[in-house]
Amino acid sequence: MVPALTSLAHGVLVRRHCRKAGVSLLEIVDVRKSYGSEADPYLALGGIDLTIEEGEFLCLLGPSGCGKSTLLNILAGFEQPTSGDVSANGAPVRGSGRDRVMLFQDAGSALFPWLTVEENMRFGLRVRRVPQQEWPRVIDHYLRMVDLDQHRRKFPAQLSGGMRQRLQIARALAVEPGVLLMDEPFAALDALTRRRMHVALLDIWRQTRKTIVFVTHDIGEAVTLADRICIMSVGPGSTISRVLAVDQPRPRDLRDPAVARLFIEIEELLAPDMARSEVRERAA
Amino acid sequence: MAKADSIQGVKRAAGSGETARRPRRARTWARYRTLLSAVASLTVALGIWQFLSSFVFNPILIPPPLKVLQTAIPMIMSGEIFRDVAVSMVRILVGFALGSLVGIVTGVLLGRIRLLHDLLDPIIELLRYLSPTAMIPIAVIWFGIGEASKYFLIFWGTFFIVVINTVAGVWRTPVARQRAAECLGATQLQIFLMVVIPSAVPYIVTGMRVAMASSFMSIIPAEILAADSGIGYLLQKSAMLMQTDRIFVALATICLLGFAVDRIFRLLVDRVLARYMSLVSVA
Repeated sequence: MVPALTSLAHGVLVRRHCRKAGVSLLEIVDVRKSYGSEADPYLALGGIDLTIEEGEFLCLLGPSGCGKSTLLNILAGFEQPTSGDVSANGAPVRGSGRDRVMLFQDAGSALFPWLTVEENMRFGLRVRRVPQQEWPRVIDHYLRMVDLDQHRRKFPAQLSGGMRQRLQIARALAVEPGVLLMDEPFAALDALTRRRMHVALLDIWRQTRKTIVFVTHDIGEAVTLADRICIMSVGPGSTISRVLAVDQPRPRDLRDPAVARLFIEIEELLAPDMARSEVRERAA
Repeated sequence: MAKADSIQGVKRAAGSGETARRPRRARTWARYRTLLSAVASLTVALGIWQFLSSFVFNPILIPPPLKVLQTAIPMIMSGEIFRDVAVSMVRILVGFALGSLVGIVTGVLLGRIRLLHDLLDPIIELLRYLSPTAMIPIAVIWFGIGEASKYFLIFWGTFFIVVINTVAGVWRTPVARQRAAECLGATQLQIFLMVVIPSAVPYIVTGMRVAMASSFMSIIPAEILAADSGIGYLLQKSAMLMQTDRIFVALATICLLGFAVDRIFRLLVDRVLARYMSLVSVA
């Protein structure tokens, strides 16, 4: 009873604080998530508090098993928190919302392989009943933005990994959500393609001013992309252990001393957790 | 069996992307080589058979291929064989079409509605061990010796294979794909119709191919035991008269027919469903 009261009071405080600032978009208040049976629960998330501002590029960074994907799924509405509140634009999140679109690591399974690039783009417009005369304009606009307008008749199987990921981004942008939730979207790509995707994504972000919540375990990726990096500790009972603001101008170069210093700082912060995560994986 | 075949299907789908990228000349050569080796293999096999039947075995028990051909020609000329083929084919196609249709509908529903699956799966799991052959006696009692009992038997054989493969296909629809559709704004019904069912098509088609092959296997005993027409009846009649050459004509007909129908089925699938057949999902 007592902890519930405090967390409630805390939530109210956080919310009041944010309303004053007036720009918070996603709010997570004391979110806990446990899996498994009631008798033997596994606490994945142990009290997460996070406020995400509109237009912000936020990275959730942590080793595997820290629950960052769980948190993203909760934000998307695919999973419900065991306790705590999640709200988007002030309204509590119940189920997947049309304002938040998730992007998956495996674009091959997220895309519709039986539809061409253009038909994949149409899917969201059709199910959202966007008037048909607007389709060509929207599709052209976003395919051009991700540089796929020359490939509109191809099927996903005919695209490279990077192109598939760009199509996934364009397909999400076409339904004009406020938030992109990205679950290690570039982790399966080769290093060179990944770097190109970083440039492309930052470019898209600059053009569209979407709010991006980006999950990664790659420190370099987080440091290159984010406005803010939330470092998550390894579970059970993961929490956000540190929040770092990154105010270096973009494009960022990991060889730039200020950026490199941040990289090393995060690496040292993560070192004990990385070791723990490895031990856990070996035990499992 | 269904499982092994579906894995092969995956491999084929994954491999086809590579062949498309190979230069045209290499592709033509590859096609030629397969054809050539098939012709060579059959020629050698027939040659050995001809030799063994002529000099080693009793040609009455194992008639040589040339004798079989000799017997086949008048059967073809008189149209006798085509009548039996037509009768058997109609039985197979009607039973197969009904079994596939009901199997697909049942399969997608079972794959999507957990409660329905939990209720019906135990029944399916038990009944699927009753091969069509095992059902022949009761089918004759229920439906008589005419066409209805054959339709029923082929339906019986097809239904279970198609249901099981369809459920597997529905279940294997990537979660990411369904969630992506949900994010894009699709309702549960739209996800079911526009995402899950198309994703299951390769599995459904694999199930139908296996079921088609099994239909060819089950029509024969049905016609041997309880029919007055069809290829199975031709086998039965020839056996009564010890006409081994005619038996072999009937057996060869089954081989060729099964092969041809599977080829036509695949061609149709390539024509109509090609875009759904790609199982490539990993980057």
